[in-house]
Amino acid sequence: MEIEFVNIPMVVDVPYRFAAGSYMARFLIELRDNGKFFGIQCPSCGRVQMPPRIVCAACHIKNGEWIELSPTGTLMGFSIVHLPLTDPTTGLPHKTPYTYGIVRLDGAYSTIEHFIDVEPDIQKVRVGMRVRAILRPREERTGDLNDILHFAPIGEA
Amino acid sequence: MTDRVAIVGVAQTRFSPKRADVNVGELAYEAIEQVLQQTGLEIGRDIDNSISCSHDIWDGQTISDIGITDVIGGHLRNEEKMAMDGSTAAYYATIGILSGEFDCTLLLAHTKMSQTDRNIVNNTAFDPIYTRMLGFDFTTAAALQARRYMSVYGITEEQVARVVLKNLSNARLNPVMHNGRDLSLDEILAAPLIADPLRALDLAPDSDGAVALIMASEERAKQITDHPAWILGIGSCYDAHYLGDRDLADCMALEKAAAMAYRMAGINDPRRQVDLVELGDEFSYQELLWLEGLGLCKRGEAGCITAEGLTARSGELPVNPSGGLLGGVPANVAGLNRVAEAANQVMGRAGEVQIKDVEIAVAQGHSGFCGQHQCVIVLGREPRSLSASAGRSR
Repeated sequence: MEIEFVNIPMVVDVPYRFAAGSYMARFLIELRDNGKFFGIQCPSCGRVQMPPRIVCAACHIKNGEWIELSPTGTLMGFSIVHLPLTDPTTGLPHKTPYTYGIVRLDGAYSTIEHFIDVEPDIQKVRVGMRVRAILRPREERTGDLNDILHFAPIGEA
Repeated sequence: MTDRVAIVGVAQTRFSPKRADVNVGELAYEAIEQVLQQTGLEIGRDIDNSISCSHDIWDGQTISDIGITDVIGGHLRNEEKMAMDGSTAAYYATIGILSGEFDCTLLLAHTKMSQTDRNIVNNTAFDPIYTRMLGFDFTTAAALQARRYMSVYGITEEQVARVVLKNLSNARLNPVMHNGRDLSLDEILAAPLIADPLRALDLAPDSDGAVALIMASEERAKQITDHPAWILGIGSCYDAHYLGDRDLADCMALEKAAAMAYRMAGINDPRRQVDLVELGDEFSYQELLWLEGLGLCKRGEAGCITAEGLTARSGELPVNPSGGLLGGVPANVAGLNRVAEAANQVMGRAGEVQIKDVEIAVAQGHSGFCGQHQCVIVLGREPRSLSASAGRSR
C-alpha cells in the first residue's frame, strides 16, 4: 500500500519594527545626514568598536568617547558568492555572483561586513586590498546600513 | 553526593535529507524509544530530568519543545529546552547531576531542516539593525572565515578538500549517515562554487533527524551498564557576536572551552592523551580550524596533518570517523551527535565505525555563525571525580 504523506505549507510572516537603540541611531543618523562613520571607544582597553554599542565587547564596561572614522580601510577577508540568498529588504533572491567582504576602517578595531564592488574574479580581489566606502547620494539615504552602497577598491599605489 | 557522571545510553534516528513521514514528535520518539529499550529504563519511573535541544525559527514555532514535551516525559514535570547546539545539553546535564538534584537525565536534539530554508533561518541570527539586512547567512559568513583563515595560515584548497574526502568516505561506513561517498580530490575541487572558497561539498547537507542520550550519576550508571562513557571534562565559552569584533582566523572561544575541559579531565598534552575526536565540521575548513583550537596541533598545522593522514580512521588521531556533519547531520542535533558518536566509541558500541582501544575521546560542538559559542566534552572509559578538579583556574 502506498503511504500518503501530508504536509501543510505555511509562510510564517511576522512583522517587526526593531528599535535601533540610541547608539546605533546616532551611527545611522551620522551616516545618513553627514556621510560619516563613527565608532565608540572603550575607556579601558581603548578599542574603537563598530557597531557602536553600550558596553565594550571585551571589558564589559560602559563605552566612552565617539570617534570619527575614515571612510577608507583594508579588506581583511572576502567571498565571491554564487548562492542566490534572499535579500531581506525585498524578499527576492540576490543576483549572483556578488562579493561580500570584511573591511577594517582606518582607526577602527572592529571590522564591518558589506558588499565589495569588484569584478567577481579571484584574480581581481585580495586580502589586504585598500577600499573606500561608497554611499548612496544624500537624498536617497534612508538611515540604515544600505546607505552604504558598497566598498570599492582604491587605485593601488 | 556523586561527583562522577556518565553517558549510559545513546540512540540516533537514521539521518535523511527529508523525513516527510514523521512530525518532530514522532521523529524524536524514534530515538527516545530506542534509548529507553537499550537501557531498560522507563520515563516515569527512572528519568528525573529532561533536556531538549531545538530551535524556534528552525521549527517555525516559538517554544519549539512544545512538539516533544510529551515524548520526552515533560508532561507535569521538568523539561529544559536549550536553543543552542546539542553538545551544550550534555554540559547542562552534567551540571544538573553534579548538583545532586538529578540522577538520570534524558537528552534529546531534533531538527527537520527539510521543512524550511536554511539561508533564511540563519539570516535571522544576525543583528537586525546591522548586517542582517545585507542578507548574510551562515554559509556566507563561513566563506569569509574560510578565506581569512586560509589566507592568514596559508591553508590550501587541497588541504581543505582532504577533510571532505575523508569525512564522506567515513560516512559511507556509518549506517545513520546519508551523504557518504567515495570521491576523488579532483571531483571535490571541481564541485560548483557556492560562496568562494566554499564549494557544494564543503557544506554539511540539509538533514532531518534526532539523537537521544541518557546521562546518570555514578551510582545509577553502574546499575544501568557495565560500559558507560564517563564525563571527564566539560567546557563552554562564547566569543563576540559581531563578526567585526573577532579576527575570524582565530578561535579563542574554542581554545578557552578546551582549556576548561582539559583541566577538569587532567589532560595536559591533548595530542598524546586524546585517542579520537568528533567535531563540528559544519563547513569543511572548520575541521582544520577546530583541530587547532582544540590544541591538537599548532596554529596553521591542521592542513598538513590532515594531508599526512594523521586524522584518518587508520591514523594516529582519528577525527570524525563517524563521517562528521559533512556526512549529513541536522543543525542543532549536530553537537549532541558528536557526543553520541564519541560516547559510542568509548563504550565500544560504534559498530561499523568503531576505532580500536578508544580510552579518551573529545566531542566539540558550536552554535552561531563562525563558531561563536563553543562547547567541549571529554569522555573516557575510566571514571574521574569531577568536583576535585573542577575548581576555577587561578
